[in-house]
Amino acid sequence: MFGLRTWSELLYAMTDLPVVGAATLSMLLALALGLTLSVTGVGLALFAAGLALAREIGGLERARARRLLGLHLDPPAWPRPAPGFLRWVGSTLADGVAWRAALYLLLRLPLAFMTWVLAAGLWAVGLADLTYPAWSHLYPQSWAGMTMDTPPRVLEVTAAGALALLAAPWVVRGAVRLSRALVGFLLGPTALSERVRTLEERRGRAVEDSEAALRRIERDLHDGPQARLTTLAMDIGRAREALAEGADPSGLLDQLLEISHQNAREALVELRNLARGIHPPILDSGLAAALETLATQSALPVDLDVSDADRPSPAIETILYFCAAELLANALKHSGGRRVRISLSGDDTSLLLRVEDDGVGGATMAGGGLCGLEDRVRTVDGRVAIRSPRGGPTVVTIEVPRHA
Amino acid sequence: MRDGGEQLRVVIAEDSVILRDGLVRLLTDRGHLVVAEATNGDELREAVMGHRPDVAVVDVRMPPTHTDEGLRAAIALRDDDPRVRILVFSQYVETRSARLLLAHGAEGVGYLLKDRVAEVGEFLEALARVAAGGTVLDPEVVSQLVRADHHSSSVSALTAREREVLALMAEGRSNAGIARALFVSEGAIEKYVTAIFAKLDLPPYPDDHRRVLAVLRYLDI
Repeated sequence: MFGLRTWSELLYAMTDLPVVGAATLSMLLALALGLTLSVTGVGLALFAAGLALAREIGGLERARARRLLGLHLDPPAWPRPAPGFLRWVGSTLADGVAWRAALYLLLRLPLAFMTWVLAAGLWAVGLADLTYPAWSHLYPQSWAGMTMDTPPRVLEVTAAGALALLAAPWVVRGAVRLSRALVGFLLGPTALSERVRTLEERRGRAVEDSEAALRRIERDLHDGPQARLTTLAMDIGRAREALAEGADPSGLLDQLLEISHQNAREALVELRNLARGIHPPILDSGLAAALETLATQSALPVDLDVSDADRPSPAIETILYFCAAELLANALKHSGGRRVRISLSGDDTSLLLRVEDDGVGGATMAGGGLCGLEDRVRTVDGRVAIRSPRGGPTVVTIEVPRHA
Repeated sequence: MRDGGEQLRVVIAEDSVILRDGLVRLLTDRGHLVVAEATNGDELREAVMGHRPDVAVVDVRMPPTHTDEGLRAAIALRDDDPRVRILVFSQYVETRSARLLLAHGAEGVGYLLKDRVAEVGEFLEALARVAAGGTVLDPEVVSQLVRADHHSSSVSALTAREREVLALMAEGRSNAGIARALFVSEGAIEKYVTAIFAKLDLPPYPDDHRRVLAVLRYLDI
C-alpha cells in the first residue's frame, strides 16, 4: 500500500499546485494582457503567446502524468505553421490543441488547489498526530473543548493520526484520478487530428514512392536501352569506316553486323519489358484480364478465381496488379511451393485480393518487398495481412477501397 | 597504327558491360592498346596510378550511387596530378559539370556526350587531342555557353561566322581543326581569331591550347 505508486501519486499531487499554478497564472497573464491590448496587433500576438504557452505546458503536463502516473498518451498532432511571425500568430489562434490546453489549465487550477490541500493536509495531520506522544507535553492540543494530555486522550490522537495516514493514499489516489482523467480528456489526440497526421504521413510516402519509381525508370533506361543503342551506333559507325577504307566486307563487316543486330534486338526486348513495368497495356482491359495474363505467364501454376464484375478505379487496378505480380514473384522465389491461388472478390465499397501458396511459409513484413507493398497499399487507405506460419501455407490478403 | 596516328595506351572506366566491350573493340580495332578496364571510381584510380596511361576514358555515372562518381574521380585524379589526361563522357552534358572539370586547367581534359562515340572518326580525333594535352568540350555545352542572350553586347557584336569560330575555339579545336571543320583556309581562321579577340577585348593567345581557357572563362564557364 505504501509502495512506489503511492509515493509517485503523492509527488504528483504535491507538484500540482506549484506547476499548474505557475503555468496557469502565466498563461492567464498573457491572455489577459493580450485581450486588453487586443485592439493593437501586439495584443493578439500576446494572446497567441499565451495559447502557445498553454500548449507547451500541456506537453509538460503529459510528461508529468507519464512519469508519475504511468499515463501514456500520444501527443496530439498540431499543424506546424509556415515560417513568418504573422502566420505563427494566426495559426496559433486557430489551433484547437492550444485552446484545449488552455481550457485544461483553467479547469485544473481549482483541482490542483484541492488536491494539494487534501494531500498536504492529510499527510501533515496524520504525521503530526501519529507522533503526538512525542511532543504532547510541549504543545498539548485541544479537541472539542478537551485538552488531550492524558494517556488515553494522547492515544486517541495517535489513533486518529494513524487513520489519517492510512486513508491518505486512497484520498490522494482519488483526487489524482480526477486530474488524470482531465489530462486524458483534454491533452490527448483527437480522432480528427490523428486522421490529419496519418494522411500527411501517407501523402509524404506516396510522393516519395512516385519519386523513387521515376528514378528507377530513368536508371533502367540509362543502363539498358541507352547503353545498347549507343553501342549499336558505335558499331555501325565502325562498319561504315571500315567500308570506306575498303576493308574486306565478309570478314570484319559480318562480325560487326551480327553484333549490331543482336544489340538492336535486345534493346527492343529491354524497352518492351521496361514499358510493361511502367504500365502493362493489358490493364486497360481490366484487372481480371491482367491477372489472367499474369497467371498464364507464371512459372508456377496459378489457380485464378475472380468473382468481381465491376471495375474499380484505374489507380486501384494498377496497385492490385503490381501487388499480385510481386506476391507471385515472391512465391516463386522464396516459397518452394508448387501451386499458387489468386482470388479477387469484393463488395460495394472494397476489394479483396488474396494470394496463397503451398510453400514453406515464414514470410514476414520485414522483407523489403512486402514492406514496400504495404506502403503502396496504405497510400489508398488499404490494408495488408499476412498469415505465414513456418511450414506454410502462406496467405497474403490485401484489402483496398474501390476508389482511391 | 591504322590511320598513321600514335598508338595510345588507354584506360576505360565504364560500368555497363555492353558499352565497355564496344569501346574496347573500337579502340583495339584502331590499333590502340586498352591497358585496363575499370567499373567504378576506385578501380579507375588504381588503374591510372598503376598503368599511367596516355589517356583515360571515363563515364560520369558509375556505382555505387550512379550519379557522378566518374566525374568526381576524374577531378580528384587531376587535383593530384594535372598531367593526367582524361576524357569524361556522359549521357547528358551540363555546364556545371564542365565547369568543375575545367576548374584546374583545360590541358588534357575532355567532356563529351556519349552519343559522340557514334561518330567514330570524331571521337578518335577527340581522344587523340586530349592525349596530346589539348581540350575537348562537347558542342552541346558550347552552344549553351555561346548563346548571345547570355552575354554582354560584345558577343552579339560578332558576326555569325565569328561566332561559329568562337564556338569551335571553345570546343578546344586548333586553328587547323577549325579550318577543316569550316572548309576554309587556316590563314582565314587566323584572321577571324584575331578579330574576335579584338572585339572581345582579350589579349591574343599564341598558344592554341591556352586560349581555350581564356575563351571559356570569357563565356562564364
